[in-house]
Amino acid sequence: MSGGKDGKEPAARPDPESAFDLWLKRGLHQLFDSVANEPVPEELLRLIDEDREGKEEGET
Amino acid sequence: MTTQTFHDQVIAILPKLRIQALSLARNRAAADDLVQDAVCNALAAQDSFIPGTNFSAWMHRILRNRFISDLRKRRDTADIDDVPASSFATNPTHEDNLALKDLSMALSRLPADQREALVMVVVQGMSYEELAEASGCAVGTAKSRVFRARRQLEAWMTGDLPTNDKLRVRVTALRAVLDQRRREGHDDEDLLSF
Repeated sequence: MSGGKDGKEPAARPDPESAFDLWLKRGLHQLFDSVANEPVPEELLRLIDEDREGKEEGET
Repeated sequence: MTTQTFHDQVIAILPKLRIQALSLARNRAAADDLVQDAVCNALAAQDSFIPGTNFSAWMHRILRNRFISDLRKRRDTADIDDVPASSFATNPTHEDNLALKDLSMALSRLPADQREALVMVVVQGMSYEELAEASGCAVGTAKSRVFRARRQLEAWMTGDLPTNDKLRVRVTALRAVLDQRRREGHDDEDLLSF
């Protein structure tokens, strides 16, 4: 029997991940994680900081 | 929200924007350009951000809109198929590297919205509700995109394909060549040196 301890059916759960889902998740992380972990280009940080400073100067 | 907090949030979300950009643009250089352009747009539009609303979704939508806008401009002069070939990040250090390259190729063949949806849910751990808000679509549409991407990839990667499918033919041919070169005693290092 698959009923719960109180005799009721357990609440519906999403299907467990299939082997393909697990493989896909691992593959996608291998393809994309390195991008997220790379240092942010200095040029981009400078762009943001310059805008921040401009806003702060404008407020004072 | 103060200006300080706004800029800090832009910096904090950059890694996620880079993943989204790569999933859409398919190659690293184009993804870097897309992130930079999206940040410029966000900085220019920062006064339109309503404090207390979902900053992450706002930022992802800006990047997505910028990608679509750039794509429309390119379509005036080039076909969509002229987009540079996929070059998702791969490090050839794993024994299943060939399978990873197959996945990369298959991903690049998905429609951009499906590829983006799959990556944002699987890699970034977004819920369907978060994906819908970041994509400016209904939750049902977000679910459908992820479902169709996953189903299509499974079909491609497990060989459940039409017999005339070009990718399958190319992958099968490449594997046959690699197997032959292995049998001939080539090192793994020079297997791809044709």
